Amino acid sequence: MRSKLPTLRPRRRYVAFFLNSEKEPQARELMVEIHSIQASLMGDLGTARNRLKLIYFDGHFGILRCSHDKIQDTRVILAAVHSINGARAAIWVKGISGTIKSVREKYLPRLDKMNAEKDGRRIELDEVSGCIIYIQGCEIDLCPDDQSRIKGSDTRYLGLTSYDLYGGLDDANGTSDGL
Amino acid sequence: MSFYECNLHALPEGSDSISRLAFISKRLGYNGIIVSNHTGFDNLFRPMAALGIKDIDVALGVEIVASSPEKLRNCVSTLRARYSFIAVHGGFENINRAACEDPKVDVLLHPEEGRQVLGIAAARSAEQNQVAIGFDLSPLIRLRGLPRVRWLETIRRNIILARKLDLSIMITTGGKSHFDLRSPKDLMALAQLAGLEPVEAEEALRLPARILELNRRLWLSPGVELL
Repeated sequence: MRSKLPTLRPRRRYVAFFLNSEKEPQARELMVEIHSIQASLMGDLGTARNRLKLIYFDGHFGILRCSHDKIQDTRVILAAVHSINGARAAIWVKGISGTIKSVREKYLPRLDKMNAEKDGRRIELDEVSGCIIYIQGCEIDLCPDDQSRIKGSDTRYLGLTSYDLYGGLDDANGTSDGL
Repeated sequence: MSFYECNLHALPEGSDSISRLAFISKRLGYNGIIVSNHTGFDNLFRPMAALGIKDIDVALGVEIVASSPEKLRNCVSTLRARYSFIAVHGGFENINRAACEDPKVDVLLHPEEGRQVLGIAAARSAEQNQVAIGFDLSPLIRLRGLPRVRWLETIRRNIILARKLDLSIMITTGGKSHFDLRSPKDLMALAQLAGLEPVEAEEALRLPARILELNRRLWLSPGVELL
């Protein structure tokens, strides 16, 4: 005998998202932050009606399960993520679909690993200098020598692009990471 | 669908260069951004690098921070010809009122700062002078607990007033880095949580493009355009 009648099965949606963070968080840390925001914004009742579950997370891309009639609430919760475990973070929703298979096919890039680079190279410009922390596509995160440059912006690094340094790359038009 | 993020702060006020903000905004689905530092485009870090990012309009504006209405009026008169987008950093009642009474101002940003509700007189002036009211939604992301509750209450009252007097509304994240940016759909969802209707939120994201288009034309006097 079935434990649940098919007509009583809850309808779900799967949200694919991209996490941009200064430090790669664990899945548990991410869910602690999401649940904290959900409880704060929606209350106990709203949380009970929209049980969020992390289906997949690789450090950057993830899939979150939510109720089919609470998509707007889920968007708000993900948009309200400000920092995870003390490091600045932002979650950008890539898309929403009805099955895990379709959300994977449509919105998750077929990259096993992000094209990240961390080699301790330096940038020396007239206006700014410091160590390169992270390079992905044409995006560059820089730890400035002069820490007063990041004062008041809540972040640890300066966000630059290759356009700032040497006029850009031909293939760096926003699609180089497969998004 | 011409969505613009209307109040970004780039290096040296924020931590990101203009090109990084433009790059991420384009990826999130914006058609353009307006970088409005408090100091205008003086001291900006490599503004020309943003020209390398294709398919996104990068406009330079200014967000005026003034300590008195007289200084505000002087600043607006001086800077109007140089910038295609003039925003005023509100918060105090006299500054809110002076900004709303000046037709050269495009938008009054965060009038609710310091739990200050927009006054009726200022709102009526904003209606007559076509000054938009900009709601910075970053406190919804940044604050937690009671401060956020207070902010939500204040912004709800401002939205009710703006709706009653049919004022133009803009929404923004006031981003200082790419971590502060949110996609148009996420921003609309946040605005709905704050009290805006879905149609109002969508219109609020489209308004900066229309204002920029008007300001970029050459006006000789009100209603007279040089073609």
